[in-house]
Amino acid sequence: MNKIYKPKIGRRNVLKGVGVTVAGATALVAGAETVEAKATVPRWVMVMDLRKCIGCRACTVACKSENDVSLGRFRTVIQEKTVGKFPDTKKWFLPIMCNHCEGNEKDGIPPCVKVCPEYPGKRMTFKTADGGKVRYRGGATYKRPDGLVLIDSELCIGCGKCIDACPYGVRSFNPFVKAGKDQTKQAADKCDMCKERIANGIDPSCVNTCQGRARIFGDLNDPNSEVAKLVKEHNLAKNVLLPEEDTNPHVFYIDPDNILKDLYKKREKGKLDHYVDLIP
Amino acid sequence: MEKLNRRNFMIFAGASGTALAAGVGKSKKALAGNVTFKNGGRDFSPLTGKERMAIPTACWSCVTRDSMIGYVEDGRLKKLEGHPGSIRTLGKLCAKGQAGVNQVYFPDRILHPLQRVGKRGEHKWKRISWDDALDLIASKLKPLRDAGTPELFMYQYGRHKASQAATMYDFMAAYGTKTIGNHTSVCEAGKWVGQESLWGGMYDNWDYDKTDYVVNFGSNQFEAHTNHIPTSQRLIRAMVDRGVPLYTFDVRLSNTAAKSTKWIPIKPGHDGLVMLAMINVIMNEGLFRKDHFKFMRVTPDYHATTDQKIAAIKREVAKFTPEFAEQKSSVPAAIIKEIARGFAKAKAACLVTYRGTVMHYHGADQERAAMLLAAITNNLDTPGGRVMGVGAGWKAPSTPAAKVHKGLHLKDGFEGEAAFPTHHVSHQILPVIKDGFAGRPKVYWWSCYNPAFVNGDNKELSSILRDESIMPFLITTTISYDESSQYADLILPDVTYLERWDWEDMVSANQIAEFYIRQPLIKPLGEARCQGDVWPDLAKRIGFEMAWKSKKDYVRQSCEMTPGVKDVGGFDYMVKEGVWHDPNDKGNYGFYAKKVDVSGDGVILDDKTGVYWNWKKAGVESQAKAKKEGYLGIPGAKSSYVAQNIEGTPYSAYAPNTSFTKSGLLDFYSDNFKSKGLPAFPTYTPAPDHEAMADDELIMTTYKVAVHSHSRTTHCKWLSEIKHDNPGWINADTAAQRGISDGDTIKVHNELGSITTTAYVTEGIIPGVIAISHHFGRQHSGIYGSGKSDPINGGASNDPDATNMTWKKHGVHPNAIIPNRSDPISGTMRWMDTVVRVNKA
Amino acid sequence: MASPRNDMIEMAKARTNVYGLLADIFRAEPSQDLLSKLKDKEFSIALHTLNLSLDELFESTSQKQLLEDLAIEYTYLFIGPGSHISPHESMHTQARFGEVNELWGVATVDVKKFMEGAGLKVAESFTGMPDHISIEFEFMQRLLLKEVEAWTADEQEFGANIIKIEKRFYDEHLSQWVSIFCDKVIKAAKGPFYRQFCEVTKAFIDFEKVIMQDLIDEKEETDRLSA
Repeated sequence: MNKIYKPKIGRRNVLKGVGVTVAGATALVAGAETVEAKATVPRWVMVMDLRKCIGCRACTVACKSENDVSLGRFRTVIQEKTVGKFPDTKKWFLPIMCNHCEGNEKDGIPPCVKVCPEYPGKRMTFKTADGGKVRYRGGATYKRPDGLVLIDSELCIGCGKCIDACPYGVRSFNPFVKAGKDQTKQAADKCDMCKERIANGIDPSCVNTCQGRARIFGDLNDPNSEVAKLVKEHNLAKNVLLPEEDTNPHVFYIDPDNILKDLYKKREKGKLDHYVDLIP
Repeated sequence: MEKLNRRNFMIFAGASGTALAAGVGKSKKALAGNVTFKNGGRDFSPLTGKERMAIPTACWSCVTRDSMIGYVEDGRLKKLEGHPGSIRTLGKLCAKGQAGVNQVYFPDRILHPLQRVGKRGEHKWKRISWDDALDLIASKLKPLRDAGTPELFMYQYGRHKASQAATMYDFMAAYGTKTIGNHTSVCEAGKWVGQESLWGGMYDNWDYDKTDYVVNFGSNQFEAHTNHIPTSQRLIRAMVDRGVPLYTFDVRLSNTAAKSTKWIPIKPGHDGLVMLAMINVIMNEGLFRKDHFKFMRVTPDYHATTDQKIAAIKREVAKFTPEFAEQKSSVPAAIIKEIARGFAKAKAACLVTYRGTVMHYHGADQERAAMLLAAITNNLDTPGGRVMGVGAGWKAPSTPAAKVHKGLHLKDGFEGEAAFPTHHVSHQILPVIKDGFAGRPKVYWWSCYNPAFVNGDNKELSSILRDESIMPFLITTTISYDESSQYADLILPDVTYLERWDWEDMVSANQIAEFYIRQPLIKPLGEARCQGDVWPDLAKRIGFEMAWKSKKDYVRQSCEMTPGVKDVGGFDYMVKEGVWHDPNDKGNYGFYAKKVDVSGDGVILDDKTGVYWNWKKAGVESQAKAKKEGYLGIPGAKSSYVAQNIEGTPYSAYAPNTSFTKSGLLDFYSDNFKSKGLPAFPTYTPAPDHEAMADDELIMTTYKVAVHSHSRTTHCKWLSEIKHDNPGWINADTAAQRGISDGDTIKVHNELGSITTTAYVTEGIIPGVIAISHHFGRQHSGIYGSGKSDPINGGASNDPDATNMTWKKHGVHPNAIIPNRSDPISGTMRWMDTVVRVNKA
Repeated sequence: MASPRNDMIEMAKARTNVYGLLADIFRAEPSQDLLSKLKDKEFSIALHTLNLSLDELFESTSQKQLLEDLAIEYTYLFIGPGSHISPHESMHTQARFGEVNELWGVATVDVKKFMEGAGLKVAESFTGMPDHISIEFEFMQRLLLKEVEAWTADEQEFGANIIKIEKRFYDEHLSQWVSIFCDKVIKAAKGPFYRQFCEVTKAFIDFEKVIMQDLIDEKEETDRLSA
């Protein structure tokens, strides 16, 4: 039992050959301060195929396991809703998670980042797969040039502003992690798209275990990627949660039955009970 | 006490030293090696790098047993994922599988052998050593064996499969007891009995990769199924990627029904009738396909022509018009016709059934109707249809059986309870023991099984375990303290499936057998020990030797014995890769249509049945006698079956591989059934108690959700967080008639008693039914499953995460008011037939 | 007056003995042998000097009955089934960076690595987890035995380094949870045996903090003076 297992069938190497040359850097890499002319920057996104989600919750639990998510909160959940009159009753499932928003057209800063008192913090460098460098600003909550909205718990002061500011309510305090800058408080936490996994070329945990392949992860900047093709084929640019919030979410939904609007249960102000995975 | 200072400390230390100097503490050292430091202890720094391993193994959260990879970091299991190289699971794992980590580390896990010291149910225990525990067991078992009464030792198991079952059976045979109980009758025994009466074997796979149309009766496979991950992912992808329609008949809008092209609500127990009505449509509209008719027998005549068969089927189903079916089942005739036509016209179609169909009165006969519907459309054992599944065929070492090898007849229910209990009547084992007509075991040992929770009338079963006058010595092997183990005399700490060895053999979804193994990801926690390691040790203490030294040794020997596996590298290969299948295997299709050589010595043709059989192999004295008595006249002749003569050609056909004596034809006309006064041809037999129901009565059904197995997951925090309560699903109209609103507290009651839950008023269930999932209402399932770690007086849990636990409800157990009643054909438990009244509490 | 070196040896031996005994007390239910020793006058007097006593327990109950009672008490307190008080560090301390502490948790791994860093391994024959209270005590006992060897061989620097390593293990592990654990046991214990041993353990753990600092200071002072 002490041999390292190396699967013969390799997982899709998401980092290989990704990215397109960024021409108008600010348009594609919003929030970045400088982009080297030749750097190819990925834009990680998720496409959710609602036709294929069977409400099995393997993603919810795989996420708990991957990220040691404590009880009482989640990094991804399935919302479900029963509609219609018997016998023409339907039940729908909706996987939701952090939308890794791009932020509005004007400033390209997601609302959670905007309210973070520690943002903009120190200058950071993002290295691309081809060795290019992109400069950006860090914070307790910040957006990386590859589109991931991340938390640095060491910089967090535990103020909770980002938790309140997220229109999707996908953030919570982690009872097991202290805010780095205020040890009396807990740090904010949320989906980080399994950043260590994707750094190693492995799909996020929820994607890895999704039976129906309802969750598809990849680089939107790579026109040959499955996600780029799906976004184009199904015209998904506007098939996102709460487009009216102007947050520019990067979790897209394939929704041919047009159920997204009726299905999604929004957060109530100051509450997070929409973001609990609970089978009725 | 006094604060310590140098003076009193030295006195105390001196006395401690005296105690130690006497030799105490020398024998129980836990640390090996010598204290050594580099650089004389300067700059001491323990290693901080993480030691990571990825190990192929297999799940056991349910019987699907997915092959998977375990990721271990510094001796701690961190994560489980599907094995990407598996042709069964295609790298996927379900929620229960993902929560396997919880199975190892839940805070209420039993980690030491415990001996009862109080009264049964008093929860008073003493930890004892494994040596003492095994000596104690041997002291009970050896005298029974020496006295020539090994059958007074009974063993009963829940989830034992593959090598876990094989090692146990090997031990039991070497010891000498055949008093072994299973749990299949609470699972789906009626399905297998129905299939065996036709196929001569069992376990249907649904060939979704190749199908064009799926009709599903009572299987919630998007949430739970005996082959969940391999089948459900293929089905949803077939639907979306290839546009395959799925029609689901269910009393309830399960996730499967919800994702179906159409959900067709149906009254409980009427699946078979709707199938017969579909057959009626297909036969009368000439939509049937004749291809498979030559393998079917539909009348007493073994040699009927296809036309005669067509006429006979039409005759048999004539009364089951769609209109008749609509009246009884509440499925509109138009829908029956539409789906019948779609099913028959599809290039390849799957007919799916499961517990919703079979856990009823005459459930086994309804399964026979399903087989008939598949056969007349040529969707039986053909690509894209309902096919006999294949799993790995392992070879394994075996120990000689004891000279005295016998059993008490406890497992087939009460006299006359079931005509063909080929998978036994496990829910009645404890009542039969209590009754005493077939004797009572002196030692009863159960494992991976919780009889006082999983069966009907579970409170009664619990009282049988509690009563010391019924069985004097109870042993259980378990990872958790539960409704049954609380009454044991000895609790042995089991390993979880993530800490043990096995070879595995669950059926593939693509008709190609996959060989795979399970190996320990970590060293067993505490003193937990694998039963496969316990048997050889126990055998020695009783006075015999097993042919293998440990479970690992058993698996190793099996790998070196099994063709195919052996050739690619045997044990070492399997340890490294975890899975293997024959790359040249084209899949198990058309096995029944193989032409067979009947020239062998002793092979004769039985004129009546058309069976070629070997009279010599059957042990008949002469060919003349064999001819005279015939294949059916010689008891046991079925084991010498060679082929079936079909239109002059000997075909392998459907060999009688189970206890049913039959020809090689699919016995849609069954002499076996007829001989017991049961319908020879599939028919509609309503449950007598349902015919007599009062207007205000409802039928209660139970079901599984996606995140729990029946009884072995509520202690898993990530699963119980998502689902921990089980309100009663009730249709809005049915609720309104009783003045019940959503969320009201309701009482569900019948002659057995009453349970209280909340009403989930929904448009997602047929009127006249209340559906309650059967996972909850645990008496003991640790802090996460029952909300209390301590059976005695409550208290905080050990797990720091328990402070984050948000749920306070733990549901109700419907089994308390479900009587243990069996399908008179198969002995399967009638889970879905219970008549109740529901009131606002 | 005793030489400083003899002082060091004496103190290290004393601490070795206490850790050794406590390791035994928490390892499993008491054996007959252990119980007999604890009944001895010397131990009884030692307890009396701490204002504790098990005399009444030993007098009122036959040895056979006491063995049974203590086995049941041990099971009830530390094993279960039910809400026992897990004698493992990882069940009583908070993990860092979102890692959830539970059975074989972060603390367990830290303890294991610490022990491995000192050249020790959990024996194959031992079926428990490395952060069991009795293993942590046994580890300190082993470090102290080495310390005694060092002083005896007059390896001054080595002896002092070992004390620092003991102190580090104490700071990172024992001090983080043993008192918390003992308080829980004192509250839950039904009889005086485990209650009193937990009182002693708690007092000892408090004392250790003082004594190890003293030893380090004394050693530095001696070194400074002799320099």
